[in-house]
Amino acid sequence: MLAVEVRDLAKTFRSGWFPRRLTRALRGGNLSIPRGVIFGLLGPNGAGKTTLLSILATLLLPDAGEAKVLGHDVVREARAIRPRLNMASGNSSFIWSLRAPEILAFYGRLYGLHGKALARKVDELVALCELEEHRKVPYQELSTGLKQRLALAKSLVNDPELLFLDEPTLGLDPDISVRMRAQIAGLRRERGTTILLTTHYMREAEELCDEIAFIKNGEIPARGTADALKRQIRIGDVIALRLDPASGDGLAELPGVLRCVFQDGRVECTVDSAEKRLAQILSWLHEQGVVVRDVDVHEPDLEEVFVELAK
Amino acid sequence: MYAFAKRNVLMAARNVFFVFELAFWPTVGVLSIGLMTRFLDLGPEMTAFLLVGTMALSTVQVCQLDVSYALLFDVWSKSVKHQFLAPVEIRHMALGSWLVGIGRGLTVFGLQALLSWWAFDFDFFEPGVLALGAFLLGCFLTSAVVGLLVCALVLLFGTRAEVSAWATVNLVMVFCGIYYPVSILPEPVSTLAGAFPLTYVLDAFRSHYGFAPEFSHPLLMGFILSALYIGLAHWALAAAVTRCRRTGLLLKLSE
Ligand SMILES: Nc1ncnc2c1ncn2[C@@H]1O[C@H](COP(=O)(O)OP(=O)(O)OP(=O)(O)O)[C@@H](O)[C@H]1O
Ligand SMILES: [Mg+2]
Repeated sequence: MLAVEVRDLAKTFRSGWFPRRLTRALRGGNLSIPRGVIFGLLGPNGAGKTTLLSILATLLLPDAGEAKVLGHDVVREARAIRPRLNMASGNSSFIWSLRAPEILAFYGRLYGLHGKALARKVDELVALCELEEHRKVPYQELSTGLKQRLALAKSLVNDPELLFLDEPTLGLDPDISVRMRAQIAGLRRERGTTILLTTHYMREAEELCDEIAFIKNGEIPARGTADALKRQIRIGDVIALRLDPASGDGLAELPGVLRCVFQDGRVECTVDSAEKRLAQILSWLHEQGVVVRDVDVHEPDLEEVFVELAK
Repeated sequence: MYAFAKRNVLMAARNVFFVFELAFWPTVGVLSIGLMTRFLDLGPEMTAFLLVGTMALSTVQVCQLDVSYALLFDVWSKSVKHQFLAPVEIRHMALGSWLVGIGRGLTVFGLQALLSWWAFDFDFFEPGVLALGAFLLGCFLTSAVVGLLVCALVLLFGTRAEVSAWATVNLVMVFCGIYYPVSILPEPVSTLAGAFPLTYVLDAFRSHYGFAPEFSHPLLMGFILSALYIGLAHWALAAAVTRCRRTGLLLKLSE
């Protein structure tokens, strides 16, 4: 069974009385996510990531289309899925004057835990998110990193089968981001939780996600593994050559070479696949009697794919 | 349900401002009204009339605030969405916080009753435990209605509506005859007053202090109306939640 199944989902926000502003946040996206994966949603600001997540988490009602979560319709069967999912977002906030264990206990109770089971759960989560030393600190005095970890801890109170994470590492320093990511990866490994996360950080998506979908202007133009996406965008690999004599005439006509530019005495050839073409180019140059002083192969990272897609 | 109750208690314990709600304002209210009766040289009946009104108002207000807080705490701390993500219904939220409200309402009432007995020789137990119980229950039911409506307003209009948590009791004060019998209100306001359950509850309790009841079966009317309004207010709140999910206000209140 699929964890998430979205068909032609659309949502338009209306705001203001006059003039009435319409924001088409989602325009008929399609998406299916299998169970047990970490799935990344990447997209520029205002692309509709949070909107999509909120609809799936039953916080927002869609205008049109259909969305199924764990086999249940998010509109008609919202009650059936709420106990089985949870959500944490980078800008989560909790009641300021309560302490971490109290906040966790409150939400634990909302999910039907009580007595010993609740106490055990709270202790487990406090330990998991390294909040022990901060048990007595009111929420407002926690650092951003701890707040974020508390948000993650809260989203685990009901051992969700499906977890939505909206920019979980927003505003975290690199060290804490790394640990947060390790924790997210651990969730899937140890509990088999299906995770749908949104992020702006390509590194994060590349590192964590089994599969990635791009979302832009409320549409989902591309999805696949990080490698597949790079290939799909066809921004290609770059082979930079320092030649003697410094002329690469004829290189651009070779098979598989998309374009060639001369820059600072170097020839940069964009090819469909460096693996396949490198040997070919080198032997051709050898035949031409050109000496190759230096070769540098560069594969595009997801960042470039992102920039390309966001255009 | 217990979760919401526990949270309201925790918040109440943590916040110095709540001491004001619980002790300061009610004390000020009873003393100022009591002293006014002395200044105007009112007889014991009139004093009773006014004090009953004051205490009903304070009790309703304190209990109502608890129900409103169940949502307002989350609105203020921008954490509304977490609550609506969880598999709870609004009745759990309302009931849990209402129970705490009853506790706090009883505290306020007890304090005021003691004060008025000590300072103004006013005996609250004169009508008997049953009548007093009915009176308090009537107050708490009205609180539930007001609290639910405040929550609905906040969900419909956002944070702009949070003043309603403090404003609606003034409405109650005008229409339910806190400081005067509703019969002195001009038409059609006095008819409108007949639509408020607290009007009847006050009428019933005051009849024990020698005031001729203005309505027949005031208690019955009060409870029937309360039940009806609680049903309506619950429905209104449920509708507001659904609307919120549609417009995205639920998300806006969380960021
Ligand atoms: N509650 C709302 N009311 C009105 N418009 C909204 C609301 N929520 C989002 N929008 C609009 O919908 C569009 C999509 O927003 P959304 O929050 O889904 O984007 P996002 O991909 O999460 O962006 P970001 O990366 O900035 O978080 C934006 O143009 C936003 O202004
Ligand atoms: Mg977002």
